[in-house]
Amino acid sequence: MKVTYSWLKDFVDIKLAPEKLADKLTMAGLEVVSLEQKQGDFVFEIEITSNRPDWLSVSGIAREVAAITNSKIRIQKSKSQTKIKNSKQEKFEIEIENKKDCSLYTAKIIRGVKVGPSPEWLKTRLELVGCRSVNNIVDITNHVLFETGEPLHAFDLDKLSGASIIVRRARSGEKITTIDGEIKQLSPDILVIADARRPVACAGIMGGKDTEVTEGTKNILLEAAVFNPILIRKARQVLGLQSESAYRFERSVDASIVESSSQLSADLIEKLSPGKTVLAKSAGSGKVIAKNIILDCDRVARVLGVKIPAQKIKTILQALGFTVKAKSKSKFSVLTPSHRQDAALDVDLIEEIARIYGYELIPRTIPSIKPQAFSWGVLDAAALIKNILTGLGLNEAITYSLTERNLAKSLGQTENLKAVEIRNPLSREQEILRTSLMPSLVKCAGLNLNQKQEYVNLFEIARRFYATDKGPKEELCLGVLLCGRKSLSLEQGMVKDEAGLLHLKGIIENMLLRLGIKEFSFSPDGQIVRIEVAGKKAGSMFRLSRSALDLFDIKNREVFVAELSLDNVIPALNLKKKFTAPPKYPGITRDISLLLREELGIDDVFQALRSAGEPLLKELKVTDFYKGKQVPAGWRGLTISCIYRSDERTLTEAEVAPVHAQLNALLTGRFGATIR
Amino acid sequence: MDIRSIQAQIESDLAAVHSQGQLEEFRLKYLSRKGALAQLTAAIPTLPQNERAQFGQEVNALKNNLASLIAEKEKSLGAGIKSGPEMTDDIGMPGIAQELGRLHPITQTINEISSIFTRMGFCIADGPEIETEFNNFTGLNIPLEHPSRDAFDTFYLKDYEKLLLRSHTSPVQVRAMKGRLPPLAIVVPGRVYRPDAVDASHLFMFHQIEGFMVDTNITFADLKGSLEIFAKAVFGNDIKMRFRPHFFPFTEPSAEVDISCIICKGAGCSVCGRKGWLEILGCGMIHPNVFKQVGINAQKYSGFAFGMGIERIAMLKYGINDIRLFFENDLRFLKQF
Repeated sequence: MKVTYSWLKDFVDIKLAPEKLADKLTMAGLEVVSLEQKQGDFVFEIEITSNRPDWLSVSGIAREVAAITNSKIRIQKSKSQTKIKNSKQEKFEIEIENKKDCSLYTAKIIRGVKVGPSPEWLKTRLELVGCRSVNNIVDITNHVLFETGEPLHAFDLDKLSGASIIVRRARSGEKITTIDGEIKQLSPDILVIADARRPVACAGIMGGKDTEVTEGTKNILLEAAVFNPILIRKARQVLGLQSESAYRFERSVDASIVESSSQLSADLIEKLSPGKTVLAKSAGSGKVIAKNIILDCDRVARVLGVKIPAQKIKTILQALGFTVKAKSKSKFSVLTPSHRQDAALDVDLIEEIARIYGYELIPRTIPSIKPQAFSWGVLDAAALIKNILTGLGLNEAITYSLTERNLAKSLGQTENLKAVEIRNPLSREQEILRTSLMPSLVKCAGLNLNQKQEYVNLFEIARRFYATDKGPKEELCLGVLLCGRKSLSLEQGMVKDEAGLLHLKGIIENMLLRLGIKEFSFSPDGQIVRIEVAGKKAGSMFRLSRSALDLFDIKNREVFVAELSLDNVIPALNLKKKFTAPPKYPGITRDISLLLREELGIDDVFQALRSAGEPLLKELKVTDFYKGKQVPAGWRGLTISCIYRSDERTLTEAEVAPVHAQLNALLTGRFGATIR
Repeated sequence: MDIRSIQAQIESDLAAVHSQGQLEEFRLKYLSRKGALAQLTAAIPTLPQNERAQFGQEVNALKNNLASLIAEKEKSLGAGIKSGPEMTDDIGMPGIAQELGRLHPITQTINEISSIFTRMGFCIADGPEIETEFNNFTGLNIPLEHPSRDAFDTFYLKDYEKLLLRSHTSPVQVRAMKGRLPPLAIVVPGRVYRPDAVDASHLFMFHQIEGFMVDTNITFADLKGSLEIFAKAVFGNDIKMRFRPHFFPFTEPSAEVDISCIICKGAGCSVCGRKGWLEILGCGMIHPNVFKQVGINAQKYSGFAFGMGIERIAMLKYGINDIRLFFENDLRFLKQF
């Protein structure tokens, strides 16, 4: 909403410089977003909040200026105090189909007008507030719109069929060409102004082309009305139109100013163009019911935290147009004015008081907070997991929850999850809520590989969504992605470490152990490794197929992804720690270097060794691993460290030797290994 | 030469040592392959059989004594550090360590803001991203016909009547107030969704953090005080702050909070649109109608609430000029935080 300094001065004496006034307005809730000096005047552009349609007019803003600056507002009354004498020859009827759509419709017939350019002062005024000058009649209706906030429309009376106006819903199939020259299809959701034959205006939004006021217009019908705000908003959206009228009607206009605005407009027309108002008609009512709000001054202090004197409270409310009567020593009975339909409760008045008193004068205090017990929860667990993962070198990603269809499936998601769909997506990329975090992470990997990143290691903790019989379900998940080669700088030089499934395993294993979870397993199932935690399915990890990589335009790279349901992991989390004393007696370590056939799983080998080595064998570790020239094809070289220890005594070589020999025998016998 | 005279010689020689070089000379004189002690040892075979053992022990004792004297002298010369092992590394080469990963700047911003409030005594809570119309709108005093309910402003689910993606974190207010009795002091970070066309400052998904406090005597002054602590903790003690009246359906009185532009310090620049002020959040006193919807007695209790966009705060804090960068997850971006 734009207003000029000079136009405001028509209504209120302003002693403040424009910059100072702009500041004051901003701090009173009318945020001045720009102040421009133009043609000897100042233009304020003000952002008006949706609850204050009364500020969509110069007079409304002037009322505010008066309240802020402690001065009096001058309300412009229509100059012709005489009531219009309806000429007997004039016949005109107004019919409102439904009062809920239009509570008041007024029409004036002005005959003998001469359409021409507006005087300079009017042109300039409108141009300064961003309104193009059309002709004197249209400009006058716009002038009144900006000044009072009541939108008006002038029809060329001679182009209307019959002597009546009907305010009704459009019929299916009806069309209208609006003033902007566009043909609009109408429907019963749209309220129209119709003559005997056809719609002549989209009510409250825009007039029709063939009844507009033009050079040759002699007689006009001046409309001023009140339309249902919701109806106007919806119709405006359907029609794809925007206008100063619609902007005001959809925020609701003050019915009590309809008649005076119409009169103001008629007066100006008579003054600036020859013409005579010969008939004034109206249907419906312009009555606005005032609300009575009881305001307790103690409550004002309780809400704001500052005591404002009762007299000050009264002055502020009166300046804003409220009628204030004392009820008791600290209580007022406050009557709302017609332009304040938004005020309904005492807090609405308290805001008004605070605004004009000045938010900046309210002190800053520290509330006393009573300690509350909130137990450690999922958010804390997620934070801990993020901490562990960054410690393991992973970078946190955040990606969109909305995605396109079927991505997860083409990536390799084997669960048959039904996606939750969006009714009103803006694009194909927002059609569903994702059923897996993996596709988004792979997309990030693609982007980073394009940027020539050698190594991509990302994780995300977010929700995935899927449909169940009981409704949509949200599940907190962890996604991890590894891709490429990490350069490790070691003492002996730089080493390239190619990411693989074992890296993923290491990360997840480390994380679970750090969360105090000891019971978990990784088991291969075709191309996928299933991960179970505490005996429950928790997720999976796998290498992306070539076709999946093609989908994301990733070339010459392997990508490894894991996804875990944290909703299944977090319940197993156990952060209670119990101390066990470090072993009292030293252990004896014996290494076995061997060749093992590749198809033998190390898990199985270890399990057999462990049970054979009981009770002295305390730990088994793979300490070296090699493939290559010195190892025959189909075999792998391993070094296994066996640590023997007793809690009762220092073990002797003689005690360990037979057990270790047994392990060797087991390896060569049952597993067919060659000891090196 | 007999042992005793050598011993006397050693004492006088050592007293004359005042530098590392002299000490080295001293060491060579006695302990080198042709030094005085080596000569003594070499003389052992020339001694009578019965004296040899005794003499050998004395020479050994002298040698040990000499070594400790040299070590002592070295310490007193302050040469202990300089004489450490030689530097073999080129210290200009890259250091060797496991590289730490980074938390996403959004997470870091959420953590920072949350911790400011938890230190004040607030708790952290969250809620579902799929919400009911009631929690997202009705419970927050947003009337049935309010424009924000339009499909232009809220994502709705296809097969579920009245379910939507939350368009703000405020529904958690409704949930928390329904589930617990005051006093309440809670902050809620989380993802929110709005069908906005994507550009440098708009996305269809972003993050908010919501905070609210309800008790028997919470005032607008308390809101101002709490948010001042927050803003100064995030943006520095020297910022200025202002509360501008504004409108939100769920608070009354309502305000928007501006801080003096952190780039131009209020002089006016392109970041603040020449205004000198940056809007950072919306807030107000919880509307009695919200209390009514959740069954809290608005006569007995009062409360304040505030909400802000995390991306906006992070963009201001780090000087990021395009909101889309947060969701591309370019490692060159992520590794800066």
